[in-house]
Amino acid sequence: MEFKDNIPIYLQIEQYLYRQIALGKMKAGEKIPSVRKLALELTVNVNTVQRALQQMNDQGILYTKRGEGNFVTEDTELLAKTKQTLIDNELDEFVQNMEKLGVKKENLITILEKYLKKCEG
Amino acid sequence: MNDLLTVKDLTYRKNQKTILKDANLNLSSGKIVALLGENGAGKTTLMRIIAGVAKNYKGEVNLEGTTKEAARKAKLSFTDGLTGFSDSTKIKDVVKFYATIFQDFDENEFDELRKFMKLDNDMKLSQLSRGMREKLIIALTFARKADLYLLDEPFGGIDAMARKKIINSIILWKDEKATILISDHFVNEISSLLDEVVIVKDHTILEHKSADDIRQNHETIEEYYESFYADEDDE
Repeated sequence: MEFKDNIPIYLQIEQYLYRQIALGKMKAGEKIPSVRKLALELTVNVNTVQRALQQMNDQGILYTKRGEGNFVTEDTELLAKTKQTLIDNELDEFVQNMEKLGVKKENLITILEKYLKKCEG
Repeated sequence: MNDLLTVKDLTYRKNQKTILKDANLNLSSGKIVALLGENGAGKTTLMRIIAGVAKNYKGEVNLEGTTKEAARKAKLSFTDGLTGFSDSTKIKDVVKFYATIFQDFDENEFDELRKFMKLDNDMKLSQLSRGMREKLIIALTFARKADLYLLDEPFGGIDAMARKKIINSIILWKDEKATILISDHFVNEISSLLDEVVIVKDHTILEHKSADDIRQNHETIEEYYESFYADEDDE
């Protein structure tokens, strides 16, 4: 896992974990790896992982069982909302990039439809 | 947060040359901190003074309420390049020496570190590559139970695999309350680990900032560090 060095790492760890959850690599109700294991896997400071997990606890995506570790919420509504946020973020970036290329918002749909048709062949 | 280490108005001269002038630094517990600066900026001297190895400085160095050099030495772990040992010394003899000198040296802990670093107890210091030597220094340093660990340029001239091992050992062995100060003149290899950055330049400590505060401004740690040297490139 490569992090961008100009964005706080804990925010990027959050994004990474959101993605793991959205992709089903970490499932509802399942225990996530320990703080130290995540730190090692991502080559980051234990404090930084803790900060990310704390935020996700506050948001309700994770919950802590005392002495057992962190678990993914079983609240399917919240999980769906989280996935939608990830999709929105991707779309945001897409729209911004297209604007930089000179594509106006009102033309996006047409361009996208054309492209998808081309992909289908 | 409680201060672990306070350096106040530190000035150090050697052979009529100023090496450090009015340096001030506060470190709290539980952090990984980079000490960044060019070669000759005074990083090693600062570490040696904090460690109680370099003496006859002006100013105050306070580690958890104690300013006495001997007491500081007992509370912090610093391995000064293995300079006191002859080349024919075996690793196990260095370990014996450490276990005798330092009460908090844990031989079992060292053995785990040694295995992790893939070092052989019977190897002589002369047989060690630069990377192996650095790994041995780290293993010796972390085998002590201290509140402050000082790592002096642990990544100088070593290959990527040795670097990875050392970085992983920091993540695995660092106690929650311990603080690690790592000096380096190249920040990229450790930037993802850092809580804080300290800049040494012009024989003093210029800045001390949290890594996240730097990134919050959309600046990389490297850009931040290089900004202190920008004026020199223009000349």
